[in-house]
Amino acid sequence: MKLNRLRTGILHLISIAIVCAGFTQVSYAGVIETGYLVDQESRAASLARLDVMLASDNVARQLEALGVDKAMGAERIQSLSHLELLMLEAEMDRQIAGGDALALIGAVFLVLLILELVGVTDVFKSI
Amino acid sequence: MLFLSACASIPADVADLQGLNRSVELGDTPFFPQRQFQCGPAALATALSSSGATVDLQELVDRVYLPGKRGSLQVEMLAATRTAGRLPYVIDGTLQVLWDELTAGRPVIVLQNLGIAAIPRWHFAVVIGIDAERDRVILRSGVDHRRLTSLTTFLRTWRRSNFWGFVVLRPTELPTRVDRLRYLKSIAALEKAGRSDAAVTAWRTALKTWTNDPVALFGLGNTSLAAGDNISAETYFRTMLESNPGAVAARNNLAMALARQHRFEEARHEITTALNEAADPQLERELRDTEALIAKMSQEHAGQENAAHQDEL
Repeated sequence: MKLNRLRTGILHLISIAIVCAGFTQVSYAGVIETGYLVDQESRAASLARLDVMLASDNVARQLEALGVDKAMGAERIQSLSHLELLMLEAEMDRQIAGGDALALIGAVFLVLLILELVGVTDVFKSI
Repeated sequence: MLFLSACASIPADVADLQGLNRSVELGDTPFFPQRQFQCGPAALATALSSSGATVDLQELVDRVYLPGKRGSLQVEMLAATRTAGRLPYVIDGTLQVLWDELTAGRPVIVLQNLGIAAIPRWHFAVVIGIDAERDRVILRSGVDHRRLTSLTTFLRTWRRSNFWGFVVLRPTELPTRVDRLRYLKSIAALEKAGRSDAAVTAWRTALKTWTNDPVALFGLGNTSLAAGDNISAETYFRTMLESNPGAVAARNNLAMALARQHRFEEARHEITTALNEAADPQLERELRDTEALIAKMSQEHAGQENAAHQDEL
């Protein structure tokens, strides 16, 4: 009799443990991670930064000289995935950091980049 | 070619040090002399213990040292900082920022290249001071407890890493010149690394600087959810939604906080609202998944209630 009660007790304990395990699993499902929000915001900031560069006279002139449509470049940048955008920015930072002629390097880089995006060159495959 | 020539000199904004009339040295910074090629773990141990963290050098070696590479990766240095419950913050690499951080009492881990371009020799060291009179940088470096390097040489060796460096922050600290998004990203990474305790403190630190910051509120909501505190989570998400009603991700998580309190009707309502606002297809899929999950939780709950009722009978 006593043994029986003990067994029931243990069974109860086990079932509670299983329920708890079930809940722990559930608890992370359905929740959107904090990183998502940060990524969203950093994407918006990246796009804004690229837009500013794209709008600069310096870049516009280079693009025009090379016969690339500016609007098309802008559109392609908008459609980059988050990861592509991050790689792009990292590459951009790498190129720009330590540069004296920041504006010029930025412009040349961006033009090369746009050429790459619209399929004219194949410079950035390594990034 | 253009890129190369531009890199050949030290940019003025890096070398410029306004008011460099005062020397600074953090003489109390602990020292962990490196063994073999383990400058990464040694530098990390120095900066971590300086921030009050308990340090086990061997554990750091296991975490960041790659025997095959005879070195450590930058990202792993950052990750190991998080594991220790500290916030790594990559600085804008300039002398001025070094000076500012040192003055705030924080040594700075820097990545140098002590070799030449053809034969690189990467090295992590810790800047603990700047001697303004003699134009020297003071480092805990390798086996040197107090290495003095001329400013020019230091900048040349630092330039090759694009002036890469970071500080180890306590979760209650902000860097002297803070870039909001970079700081928040670092906290999100800390949270993801499983250091919820430290992340909560850091999110609160962020909220003190940027009142009602949506990312910080969202982060506090998520850390509350992870801790099983659904009521606090609900409050944080609601506060965030007050000023950002279009924040679909927060509405999704609010729905989860409600569902876990068995307030399924309200949870469904939030998801419906969010679905009407979601423009991104991937986010929409997430919302549909949450919707299905809430339906399942609701059913299970009803089942349990029934069973309990049967028991009573």
